[in-house]
Amino acid sequence: MLRFVLTRLSQMLVSLLVITFIVFSLSHLTGSPIDSLLPDDATPQQIASLTEHLGLDRPYYVQYLTFLQNAAVGDFGDSTKWKGSTAAEVVLERLPATLQLGGLAVLISVVAAIPMGVMSAVRRGSIFDRMAGVVALLGQSLPAFWLGIVLMWIFAVILGWFPTSGYGGLTYMILPAVGMAWFQIAALTRLTRSAMLEVLDTEYVKLARIKGVNERQVIWKHAFRNAAIVPITYFGVLAGSLLTGSVVMETVFAWPGTGLLAIDAIRGRDFPVVQSVVLFFAVFYLLANFLVDVLYAIIDPRIRYG
Amino acid sequence: MARKLKFLEHLPFLPIAVLMIVLIVPAFFADMIAPHDPYKAYLRNRMEPPLFFGGTTEFILGTDRLGRDILSRIMHGARYALIISLAGIVLGAIVGTLLGLIAGYMRGHIEALIMRVVDITFALPSILLALALASVSGPSFELVIFVVIFVIWGFFARQVRAETLILRELDFVARARVAGASDFRILYRYILPNIVNTIVVLATLQIGVVIVLEATLSFLGIGIPRPVPAWGLLVADGRQLIVSSWWISFFPGMAILLTVLSVNMLGDSMRDWLDPKLRRV
Amino acid sequence: MFKKYLCKPMVTGLMAIGATGAVAAQAQTIKLVMSPPAVETNRYWNTPGDFALGPSMQGLVGHDAVSGSYDNSGLADSWTHSEDFKEWTFKLKPEAQFHFGWGPVTAADVVHSLALHTGPDTTLNGISQLEGAVAEAIDDHTVTFTLPAPQVDFLFVHGGRGSLVVYSKAQFDAEGLEGYDAMPAGTANLQYVERNVGQGLNFEKVVDHWSGEDANIDRLELIFVSEAATTLAKLLAKEVDIVILPRELQGEALDAGFEAIPSTNASNQTTMLFNGSFLLPGYEGLDETLPWLDIRIREAINRSIDRVTMIDVLYDGRAEILPVFGMDPRHEGYVPELAERFEAEYGYDMDKVKALMDDADYPDSFSNPVIPILSSTLAGNPEFPAMAELMQVFLDEAGFQTEIVEMDWANLGALRTAREAKFFHPMRNLPVKPSAVGIRNYYSAAGAPRNNYEDEVIEGLMTKYMASIDPAEREELAGGIFTRVFEQYAVAPLASISAEVIVNPETVGGWVFPGTTSVGISHFGSIVPAE
Repeated sequence: MLRFVLTRLSQMLVSLLVITFIVFSLSHLTGSPIDSLLPDDATPQQIASLTEHLGLDRPYYVQYLTFLQNAAVGDFGDSTKWKGSTAAEVVLERLPATLQLGGLAVLISVVAAIPMGVMSAVRRGSIFDRMAGVVALLGQSLPAFWLGIVLMWIFAVILGWFPTSGYGGLTYMILPAVGMAWFQIAALTRLTRSAMLEVLDTEYVKLARIKGVNERQVIWKHAFRNAAIVPITYFGVLAGSLLTGSVVMETVFAWPGTGLLAIDAIRGRDFPVVQSVVLFFAVFYLLANFLVDVLYAIIDPRIRYG
Repeated sequence: MARKLKFLEHLPFLPIAVLMIVLIVPAFFADMIAPHDPYKAYLRNRMEPPLFFGGTTEFILGTDRLGRDILSRIMHGARYALIISLAGIVLGAIVGTLLGLIAGYMRGHIEALIMRVVDITFALPSILLALALASVSGPSFELVIFVVIFVIWGFFARQVRAETLILRELDFVARARVAGASDFRILYRYILPNIVNTIVVLATLQIGVVIVLEATLSFLGIGIPRPVPAWGLLVADGRQLIVSSWWISFFPGMAILLTVLSVNMLGDSMRDWLDPKLRRV
Repeated sequence: MFKKYLCKPMVTGLMAIGATGAVAAQAQTIKLVMSPPAVETNRYWNTPGDFALGPSMQGLVGHDAVSGSYDNSGLADSWTHSEDFKEWTFKLKPEAQFHFGWGPVTAADVVHSLALHTGPDTTLNGISQLEGAVAEAIDDHTVTFTLPAPQVDFLFVHGGRGSLVVYSKAQFDAEGLEGYDAMPAGTANLQYVERNVGQGLNFEKVVDHWSGEDANIDRLELIFVSEAATTLAKLLAKEVDIVILPRELQGEALDAGFEAIPSTNASNQTTMLFNGSFLLPGYEGLDETLPWLDIRIREAINRSIDRVTMIDVLYDGRAEILPVFGMDPRHEGYVPELAERFEAEYGYDMDKVKALMDDADYPDSFSNPVIPILSSTLAGNPEFPAMAELMQVFLDEAGFQTEIVEMDWANLGALRTAREAKFFHPMRNLPVKPSAVGIRNYYSAAGAPRNNYEDEVIEGLMTKYMASIDPAEREELAGGIFTRVFEQYAVAPLASISAEVIVNPETVGGWVFPGTTSVGISHFGSIVPAE
């Protein structure tokens, strides 16, 4: 077990190192921040002095090594767009908002998808099964931004049940979280359904039924407990796509999290913030998947590989 | 023969009919069936509502803010939806399958290397990557295809590797190896045919992902460049006028919805029939 | 005849009530939604000039809310300049006080602020006007700027669109820049409360303000929203009181009973540029294949634009046709005849277009006949993509070969710096500026590298204009340049537009602002809550 964890951990670090290089190169490919920072009537002297001020005149590899060295201690430099803060501060400040929204989205998708998946499996082929499939798929069939805007119009502007947008308590979070969750529900429902179908087909469950255990108990206690491991493995993927989803939903709902931050930073060519936010996304994803792998290996030792 | 008939029985009629009407026929015949030139701006007929909502038969689904016919634009947009999905998915599937086969068959360091690359692609937020790339080269058709490949190849690689791992240990592969078949021949003759079903199902299910991804890219201003009437761009451009001129984004949105829904339902039934063991993520 | 494109009637309704005398009956918070500024900071010199701290901070010179002309509503009571316009002396108001007890405004604060604003990390638009300027405190309330070259327009630097905002030296000495980041002391009748990063900024009324004019509102919340559909939703749901909305969405809000308040004066000018028209003899970087180097093509393009329709499509019908980009009645060199000649020389006329194109033998004698039209995304200019598509429609109609090139604003900036931006492209809405600034930036080699048009005649006039300190002569020289620009079809001028806000009439009674800042709005303290 320890060996497995160590192997996965070292693989993760290698991935991370490669990612730092990609992230660093990419943000430098995107053009000099000078052009977006300086006004239209900038003089050549102004350009030169700002370039030097930001350290952009040093050789590429020196900039990368400096970046890596500083990144190791969480220092990504000063933000150029949020003057007066370091990039790490900017990201950390926005992080709780994204985690709140993402957490609620996960909760909503689980609460909606698990029962739907279980019931679909139990009543396989029924009208419920088919309808559940279509409803779940609806969320994946619309561009998220449009879904978000439509939700906002219906539930905030017309019905007035929720605030349209902005940062705040639960009422502010529901619409964007539903928008983000809906996209996940189809996949999670489907996974739960197929895992349940497999388990329901096992001798163990059949035996329980023969023994006369009531149906409710068979489904939730005997079958679902064993099927649950499959949806759990999905959380690694979920973590990644929630972050990606946050980019769109946070923009639509003016939710001040890291997704909105990432867009603003790229548009404003704020290298340090772009780097730290992309790295943060990557670390978050890698970590989530690492945990899922370990969890999976603990629950089902046969699965270990790689 | 019996097998084929069984497949036909399982073919869901409704999704296929919808796909033909919304995607396939317009994609091939838009030039003939579209009532207007999709780029022609009737500046005097700007933002005309659809028929039955105060509009005329001239512009059945209404016009956009430059007076272009929405129906014609959706029809021509179908072509781009089809091209992007096909090109992106075929290329993504080829890359993913090839690397998945190599990883699963060769094992060892090569496998470790390939699977690390898969991990890295999944870990990098593709949308942000696309934004960054678009700010270098400007949005383009090629960029959209590239992002599509980047997003989907890993799914193919993972799935193909997993199946190859199992297949390579089976008796018939071992026999072929004893008989002196080359690695290439084993992969090509013995392993690939056994995973083709998986690839086809996975590819079908990715069409929806690709069409929605294209729309998201357009929302961020890095989709297919204007004035091409790509569906995503139509929805993204009309989203602001969702109240007063709802038809500008509603009908292209419906085209996306119907296509993706149908493709996914078609993919589901294909999976049930071709490859029941495949789980969808 | 130059046709004025009239404003739709509903926008003017509110203006009459807005005078400063009206006082709110009850405590009132006004929430105002705007696009996020390019740089979110309390340090003005790190922004391009789109400063969200406008409600609490001031410069030396103010603007009259109605006429927009310079007045002493800023921190200076009066000013004088030497005959050669190289030395400007400002008398500060002795009663002016910084917020939060940081004491009176003194000459030392001005000297300190100039140093901050002209440091190495400055990114301010227009800061070049302060290059080499030296500020000296004569006494506590007198400060003199000595300039390396004459500047007739020096007040611009201190006004609403200017480059110098006065920060407290006392606060800096005590707390450093961190003090500004946490709680910047300004001087206006609203003071800073807090910044919620990514969300907005809050201000509150200063009780018994030193100017004697307290704000009409108790609290002002600026809310940053980048998605226009969301901004509109916030207004329609009545969550907010005032929004800045793209023109194409304004109609929706007006239909729903909300009202528009425009700035009292035109605030911005818009145009398409024929970039790469560097026609100075001997210039080696000239790309001779650009189709618009031929003046007949420039005229034909100008004449294929139906400006009345353009204003309908892009500005919801509420804008005026602009005869010369950079020329404005409030500044030097305004030539009224050019406006009169506009219809005859720039008017939409397809027959004339065809004749011009035939005469120029387009496309046959052009090695590169395609007109690349740039479409870009830039915060504050949401109409750019629509503008590009519309231009393509007009040009295609006329028979030009066109393509749309998409590029973000920063990349265009890089190409402009390299003088390689060979596009027919829109310009960031030009805030109305002194003529010399506009001419320098767009029509003269003095604005290199990021200018777009150069020719010998303008250069000759510009050299004299830059050196001249005689008002009559300057007027004539600037007028000469604008006439040349007009006659050469140097750009395709589009529209002159006012800054506009959409308000909820149930909560906002009126607001008069002159459109003299880069965000267009100012005079926040004079927002009048509804009765």
